[in-house]
Amino acid sequence: MKSTHFALTSAALLLALYASSALAQDAKGIVIYNAQHESLTNEWAEAFTKETGIKVTIRKGSDTEFGNQIVAEGKLSPADVFLTENSPAMALVDNAGLFAPVDADTLAQVPEEFRPANGHWTGIAARSTVFAYDKTKLTADKLPKSLLDLAGPSWKGRWAASPSGADFQAIVGALLELKGEAATVEWLKGMKANFTAYRGNSTAMKAVNAGEVDGAVIYHYYYYGDQAKTGENSKNVSLHLFKNQDPGAFVSISGGGVLASSKHPKEAQAFLKWITGKTGQGILRTGTSFEYAVGTGDESNPELTPLKDLQAPKVEASKLDSKKVSELMTAAGLL
Amino acid sequence: MSFLHLHGLRKAYGNVTAVDGIELAVAVGSRTAIVGPSGCGKTTLLRLIAGFEAPDAGSIVLYGTELAGNGDVVPAHRRGIGVVAQDGALFPHLSIADNIGFGMKRDEDARDERIADLAYVVGLDRGILKRRPHQLSGGQQQRVALARAMARKPRLMLLDEPFSALDTGLRASMRKAVAELLEQAGIATILVTHDQAEALSFADQVAVMRDGAFSQVGAPRDLYLRPKDRMIAEFLGDSIILPARISSGIAECAIGHIGADSTSPRDVARIMLRPEQVFLEPASRADVANTPPNVVFGEIIEAEFAGSVSTVALRVLNSLDPPDAAVIGNHPLILRRSFVDAPTVGAIVRISVHGKAHVFDGTA
Amino acid sequence: MTPSSAEYHPSRPSTPAAAWSRLLPTSWIAVAAVLVSLFALLPLGFIIWVAIQTGWTSVAQLVFRPRVGELLVNTLSLVILVVPITALLSVALAWLTERSDLPGARFWSGLSVAPLAVPAFVHSYAWITLFPSMHGLFAGVLISVIAYFPFIYLPVAATLRRLDPALEDAAASLGNTPWRVFLRVVLPQLKLAVLGGALLVGLHLLAEYGLYVFIRFDTFTTAIVDQFQSTFNGPAANMLAGVLVVCCLVLLALEAMLRGGERYARVGSGAARTAVRTSLGRATVPCLALPLITASLALGVPFLTVGRWLVAGGAGVWNLDVISLALWQTLVLALGGALLTVAIAIPMAWLSIRRPGPLPRLLESCNYIVGSLPGVVIALALVTVTVRVAMPLYQTVATILAAYALMFLPRALVSLRASIAQAPVELEQAAGSLGRSPLRALWSTTVRLSAPGAAAGIALVGLGITNELTATQMLAPNGTRTLAMAFWAMSNELDYAAAAPYALIMVVMSLPLTWLLYVQSRRMAGR
Repeated sequence: MKSTHFALTSAALLLALYASSALAQDAKGIVIYNAQHESLTNEWAEAFTKETGIKVTIRKGSDTEFGNQIVAEGKLSPADVFLTENSPAMALVDNAGLFAPVDADTLAQVPEEFRPANGHWTGIAARSTVFAYDKTKLTADKLPKSLLDLAGPSWKGRWAASPSGADFQAIVGALLELKGEAATVEWLKGMKANFTAYRGNSTAMKAVNAGEVDGAVIYHYYYYGDQAKTGENSKNVSLHLFKNQDPGAFVSISGGGVLASSKHPKEAQAFLKWITGKTGQGILRTGTSFEYAVGTGDESNPELTPLKDLQAPKVEASKLDSKKVSELMTAAGLL
Repeated sequence: MSFLHLHGLRKAYGNVTAVDGIELAVAVGSRTAIVGPSGCGKTTLLRLIAGFEAPDAGSIVLYGTELAGNGDVVPAHRRGIGVVAQDGALFPHLSIADNIGFGMKRDEDARDERIADLAYVVGLDRGILKRRPHQLSGGQQQRVALARAMARKPRLMLLDEPFSALDTGLRASMRKAVAELLEQAGIATILVTHDQAEALSFADQVAVMRDGAFSQVGAPRDLYLRPKDRMIAEFLGDSIILPARISSGIAECAIGHIGADSTSPRDVARIMLRPEQVFLEPASRADVANTPPNVVFGEIIEAEFAGSVSTVALRVLNSLDPPDAAVIGNHPLILRRSFVDAPTVGAIVRISVHGKAHVFDGTA
Repeated sequence: MTPSSAEYHPSRPSTPAAAWSRLLPTSWIAVAAVLVSLFALLPLGFIIWVAIQTGWTSVAQLVFRPRVGELLVNTLSLVILVVPITALLSVALAWLTERSDLPGARFWSGLSVAPLAVPAFVHSYAWITLFPSMHGLFAGVLISVIAYFPFIYLPVAATLRRLDPALEDAAASLGNTPWRVFLRVVLPQLKLAVLGGALLVGLHLLAEYGLYVFIRFDTFTTAIVDQFQSTFNGPAANMLAGVLVVCCLVLLALEAMLRGGERYARVGSGAARTAVRTSLGRATVPCLALPLITASLALGVPFLTVGRWLVAGGAGVWNLDVISLALWQTLVLALGGALLTVAIAIPMAWLSIRRPGPLPRLLESCNYIVGSLPGVVIALALVTVTVRVAMPLYQTVATILAAYALMFLPRALVSLRASIAQAPVELEQAAGSLGRSPLRALWSTTVRLSAPGAAAGIALVGLGITNELTATQMLAPNGTRTLAMAFWAMSNELDYAAAAPYALIMVVMSLPLTWLLYVQSRRMAGR
C-alpha cells in the first residue's frame, strides 16, 4: 500500500511540477487580464509580440469580475495590464489606487474625452449602445424614442438584454449617472417586468433575428461582426440609434491600464502605448472587431456610423459606479 | 391415484436438449424424487412443472387440467404449485413474516396468525418473524421458504435440492422433518437432488435421470436392488457386477452359485450384488483345500481403515467355473465392512451371499 | 521507507501484517486520512465563515429576496422533474436491455451508457444549434434527462444482471403475475441502485453550468457564476453558494433517509442462475422504439450537430497549434488531478476497509459531502482563501489540482474501496508465508489487486476533469485554456463551428473512459 501511495504521490507531485511549467506563463512576458473580446485582444497581442518580441499571456474574464479580482488580489496581483470592454471596472480598480499612471506619450495619443482626467488609465476603443430590432416586424414609427420607453407597459415581453454582462451594466451605469438613482430604480423595475434575459449580446441579437423578441439593447458591433461573417444571426436585424443625448445613445469606453504592482511596467506600458498607437488602432479599423477607434486621428471602420454623428450623452467615464449598478440590479432581481 | 401426469415432455436450449421424452405419474400425497448427476436436466424438468419455462413438446396435466401442451401454457402464478429453491430464494428486502405472507392475500383474515402458525409448523421461533433473511441460518432460511410455499396450500410442492446447502447432520434431520410435514399436510412432493441416498430415503417413487431422460422409475427398494443397468446400479450405490450363467433360478458366478431374481436361463449374463449382501467368515488355507465344492474362499489383499467403515479388497482363490474368470482375477472385489470384523491383509475368508443376485437384462 | 526491516530483526514476529504495521502504523494512515478530510471540509467551512462575516442582516437580505426564490423554483423544478423521468427511463431501458429478448440488447446497452462521453454542455450546444429558440424549463428537463440518465442506467442495469432470478420464480410460484413480480420483487431490489443514481443526477443538476446557460435557464449555479463575473467573490455569490450547499445537503439527507439501513445482498450461497429473458413477442417493435429514440436524442443529436459544424467550418476551424495546446493542457490537468486525487484517497480507502469503525465512517462521509458540492462553490472557496491568506498558491496548478481532488475524491474512493476490499489481508500473509518480504508481499497481493480499482478511479476522475468548466475557469493559472474552456469561449461568441473541434476531441477523449466504466460495471455484476 505504501509503495503505491508513495509512487502515486511522487508521480502526482512530479506531474504537478511539470504541469506548472507547461501551463504557467513565460516569466519574462506580461499578463493581461482581458475582459475585451478575445479575438480583438488576440489580434493585438499577436501583432505586438511579433513587433516587440514581448510575450503576452491572456486570462479571459469579464469586466467587473476582473475589476473586483484585481482589488481582491491587491499588490500581489499577477496581472500587468487590465483591458476592459467598459469603463466602470477601470474606475473600480482606479478607486482602489491600484493603477500606475499611464505614460504621457500614450495619453498624448488619445483625446481627452476618451480617458479620465487623472490619467491612470486610457480609452482603447469605444462602442455605442443600439436598439437592434426585427426589421420584419417593426417600422421606424414603432421604434422606441428613448431607452426609457422600454420600461413602459407597451414594451412588455417584447425586448431582450443581457443583464449579467458588463456591457449592459455600463449602460445602466450611464442611466444612473444621467438620470439619478430613483429614476434608475424605477426603470429597472419596468425592465424586470418587460424584458427577456439572454446571456451575451450576440445571443440577444440572435433572439431578435429568430423573432423571439422584437428588439434588444446591445452594442453596435455585434451586428457588424455577424454581417461581416455569414449574417445568419442578423439577417432580419436592423440597428436603431437613439441619438439626442438619450441614455440609450451612450457610448461606452473600453479601457486599458497598467497595474501599479506590475513587475514588468516597461513592457506593460509599451503594450498600452502600442494598442492606442497607429498599428493598434488600425486593427480596430481593419479587423473583425468593429469597435470604434479612439486614437487621435484614427479612423474607425467606414461601415460604422461615425462616432461624432451618434449624439451620445456626455458621461464622465470614471464616474460610472459599477458597485452601485450591481447592487441596484441585484435588488431589482435582475442578477 | 395419480393426479400429475407428464407425457413426452421435451425442452431444448438451442442445440442442447435438456429434457427429452419424460413420462411420469405422481400419486396424490406421494413423494417422488428425481435423482441424477448435475446437468442431467432434472432442474429443467422441475422448472417445466413449476411453469417457469414452457416445454417444446409434450404435456403436463394436473388434476385433469392441462398446464402445458399444444402450445398453451398456464403461467407459473396460476398453477398453484409450491416451489422451494436451492437456497430458499427469500426476498432480501422483506422481513421473515412478509416473506411467509408473500403469497397470501393482503386482506386475508387473520393473516398474522396464519403466518405465525406456519412458522410454528415448520419449526421456526416466533421471534424471528421480524428479522431479515440475511440474519437467519441456512436451515432457518429453508424453513421460511417452505412455510412461504405452504401458505398457498399447494397440491404439489417442488423441492429443488433444498437441503444441499445445509450441513450433513442438519440435512438428514431437515429431510425427515420436511417429509413428515408435507405428508401430514397431504401435499404431494417432487424432490430434485443429485444425492442418491437423499432420494432413496425421501421418496416413495424415485426417478433416475440421465441425459435428459428417465433411465428408470420405481420404488426406492426396487431401484436399489433391481437397477436396469450397470450405470443406474453404480449411481445408486456400491455394486459388485459379475459375469454369470443363469440356469433354473441360480446364477453361477465367480463367487459361487447364488439365487437369481430371474428364472430364464442364459449362458452369458451379468449379475449385480450389493456389497451388503456379501458376507465374509474367517477361514484357513486348509479349509480351501478341504471344503466341498460350491464354497468359495478369498484372500484379503488390501485393507484400509477409515473409522467406522473399513474397505477391504479380496482376491477369489477358487472361483467356480466362471464364464469369464479373468474379470475376477484382474479386478479384486472391493467391500466395505464394519471395522469390528474387518479382516486383515493376508487373511483367508469364506465368501457367502445373502439374498438374490440381480440379473441385468441383456448383457449390460 | 526502510526495506523489509524484518530481515534485520529476525527475532521480531515477521508476519507481513505485523511488519507492515511497523512500517506504517495505522495511526499514520489515520492522520493522513484526517488531514485529507479536514482539507475537504475547507469549502464548507468557508461558506459558514463568510456567512458569519457577512452578518445575519446582510445574509438575510441576500438570501431572502425574490431572485433567490426564482432560482430556487427553477432549480427545484428541474430536480423534481428530471430525477423521476431519468429513473423511469433508466429502469425501462435497463429492463429491456438486461431482461428482455430485445434484438441487439448488448448494442443498446452500450448506447445507453455512451451519452456519458458527451459533456453536458455539448449536449446543450447540440440542441441549441439545432433548435435555436429552445429555452427554459422544458428544454432544461429534456437535455438534462438525456445527458444524465446513464448515471441511473448503469447501476440499475448492473443490479438487474446480478439479481437472483430464483426470487422472481419464487414470487411467480406464489401466485404473482409477471407485472406484480416486477413491482413487488424486482423494483424493491433496484431501490438502492436507483437512489444512488438519482442522487448523482440530482447533484449534477445542481452543479451544472454550461448546459443551462445555453438554453437560458437560470439555476443557482448559473447565478453564482453571473455574480462571480460581475463581483468576483462578492457576498451575493457566496450566499447563493450557501443556499446551493443547503440544497446539496438536503439531497444527500433525502437519499440517506430513503435508503435507510437496507441491505439487499443475495441470501444464500452458490452461483445465481442467469435470468431467463422475457420474450417481448409482438411488443418487440414498440419496445425497440424506446432505446432507439433515446439513442437518437442522446447521441444522434450531438453527433449530427457537431458533424454539421465540422463540415461547415471545414479545415479553417482546425487551428492545430491552439487545439493541440488545449489538448495537452487538458491531458496534463486531467492526469495530474486524477493521480493526486487517487493518491490522497488511498489512506481513507485503506482505513475504511482494513480498520472499519466510527472514525473512518465519519471521515468518509465528510469527503462524500464535499464531493457533492458543485465545482463553482469549491472554486469560489479556494479563490477567496488563496487570494486572502495563501497568495503564493493563488492561480497555481496546485490550487486547481486541489479543487479537482475535492470535487472528485468520492469517485476515487468508490473505486479504491471496492478493489481494496477484494484484497483480504490474508493474501498478504499467505504471500509472506511463501517467502516474500513484507513489502514484496504487499506489492504482489494488495497493490496488484487494487491496481485495477486505482486505474478505474484515475479514469473516472480524469473524465470529470476533462469536462470540468466552471472551477477550471475560476482557478486555472494564467494562460491555461483547456478544451472545455476553449469550447466555451468559442460558443459564447456564437462561433459554433470553431467550437466543434473541441467538442469532438472531448467526446473522443471521454469515449475510452466511458467504455471502461461500462466494462467495469458489467464485471462487477459478474460477482
